[in-house]
Amino acid sequence: MAEKRPDAGRRYRRVALFGGVYNNYLALGELVRECRASQVDAIFCLGDMGGFGPHPDRSFPLLRSGEIRSIAGNYDLSLAQGNEDCGCGYTDPADNHFARISYDYTFRNTSRENKEWLGTLPSRLSFGLGPLKVRLCHGSPRQVNEFLWDSTSPDHLLSGFLDSAGADVLCCTHTGLKWHRELPGQKHFFNVGVIGRPENDGRTNVWYTVLEYDGRGFRYEFRPLRYDHRRLAREMRAEGLPEEFVETARTGWWTTCLEIMPSRERRSGKF
Amino acid sequence: MAAAPPSLPLQHLDTLWFQVSGTLCNLRCSHCFISCAPDNHTLELMEAPRIFRYLDDARRMGVKEVYFTGGEPFIHRSFLAILECALRDFPVSVLTNGVLIDEAKADRLRRIADGSRFSLEIRISIDDYEEARNDAIRGKGTFRKALDAYKLLYDRGFLPILTVTEMRDYLTPQGGERDLHGRYVKLLRSVGVDRPRIKVIPIFEMGMLPAPAGQRSVTPEMLRELDPDALQCSSSRIVAHDGVYACPILVGEPEARLADDLEGGLRDCSLYHSSCHTCYVTGMTCKNF
Repeated sequence: MAEKRPDAGRRYRRVALFGGVYNNYLALGELVRECRASQVDAIFCLGDMGGFGPHPDRSFPLLRSGEIRSIAGNYDLSLAQGNEDCGCGYTDPADNHFARISYDYTFRNTSRENKEWLGTLPSRLSFGLGPLKVRLCHGSPRQVNEFLWDSTSPDHLLSGFLDSAGADVLCCTHTGLKWHRELPGQKHFFNVGVIGRPENDGRTNVWYTVLEYDGRGFRYEFRPLRYDHRRLAREMRAEGLPEEFVETARTGWWTTCLEIMPSRERRSGKF
Repeated sequence: MAAAPPSLPLQHLDTLWFQVSGTLCNLRCSHCFISCAPDNHTLELMEAPRIFRYLDDARRMGVKEVYFTGGEPFIHRSFLAILECALRDFPVSVLTNGVLIDEAKADRLRRIADGSRFSLEIRISIDDYEEARNDAIRGKGTFRKALDAYKLLYDRGFLPILTVTEMRDYLTPQGGERDLHGRYVKLLRSVGVDRPRIKVIPIFEMGMLPAPAGQRSVTPEMLRELDPDALQCSSSRIVAHDGVYACPILVGEPEARLADDLEGGLRDCSLYHSSCHTCYVTGMTCKNF
């Protein structure tokens, strides 16, 4: 899919980035409210609108309002193309079991128009942040569903991605866990986190990332985002979604999609 | 005349395996696909300086992860030093039978893992969830030792992956186990492991096992329908003491040997072997997940 040219030449001072809405329209609403209040110049969503949460179509009014610029994740491509599964890249039967439930639910409950809109999203975006070139992708620049975890992504791999993209800052999502690494040559790699599901740390908030370039140079901040997680849990239960998902929203601990995690990341969780 | 076997290009070298202990192993399992044993010198131990050079090449080529296998990696006298070196730049996985992992070694592995920002994954192999049936395949006492090693590492904060084969189904096809995965979960929970990780792998009919009856091979037609990422040889290679091979299953097989060095090993590999068909059918990857 072609890069969206209109953004390639844009320069910003402060931007907010997030991935993985996962049908969490309540967190999405909070995020937009926070971003308006903190005067960011632009909001970017790195894809995977569906999965996990309830009422998929409730995220789309904000996503399609023009206030958020989005790229496509694997979930979005699967929904748009009518694929049989989410294409998340799980290989373990337990991971795939739960992925199947949330994908089938999301597929059934996403309107045709919204699926078509997902099909129009670009696979990547570039923009300027001060003098820096920022590149956005979903999994990695080379593969939409590549898992880039902190403990399994060597510096030389990330530097290679940045060099190939001709970027100073590379941002991705897909794994559900935020992290940052500064690389040689003052380059930066970010996994910007997700707003759809808490971070497997026993806290119910979710996370997004703010990048800023001002007179003092480049800065970043991972920001916690609170939303009505109890309401989300109630709605998930009412929709008949698995109790395992509800528990994650309620407690902040991941109960599914665990097998794909490297041991270091998994150790910091409960299950 | 049979058609020539198809070839598969390497998309990108993401995963580099080391046959660090060659075909030398402290065990002599009755199903080993490369017939490893204490006296099998077909592939020799790899010298540490040679491994360090390969690791330099791998870093330059953008390799994402490194695996060590054998034989039994822990019979290599320099293995822990090699591991420590690899973990400076790469996430690393080690495939072991666990027999040589005692408390001191488990402590040392913990220290090595803590010294790296990257994940160290340890995979421990057994072949049945019943002690007697496992030991009939792998040797007396191996079941207990493997579980002890798993627990020693688990108690030190590792989350080892129990790697199990479908030997039960192979040996008794009529008495197949429906929930193999669940059986091993139960086994690990019974020894106090709350977070079991399990990888089930198919049987490769080669090495110590007789070749499959009838022709089983990958055809060009099969490849036309296939996402190349589905086969591990599209993104991985293995180095042994005598050069670079297409994949960990075919290491040591003359037809799977690609080159002396990593650069040469990037060329297409031929899917000539019946085991390529096993990977095609089962979606097998030697990687963790």
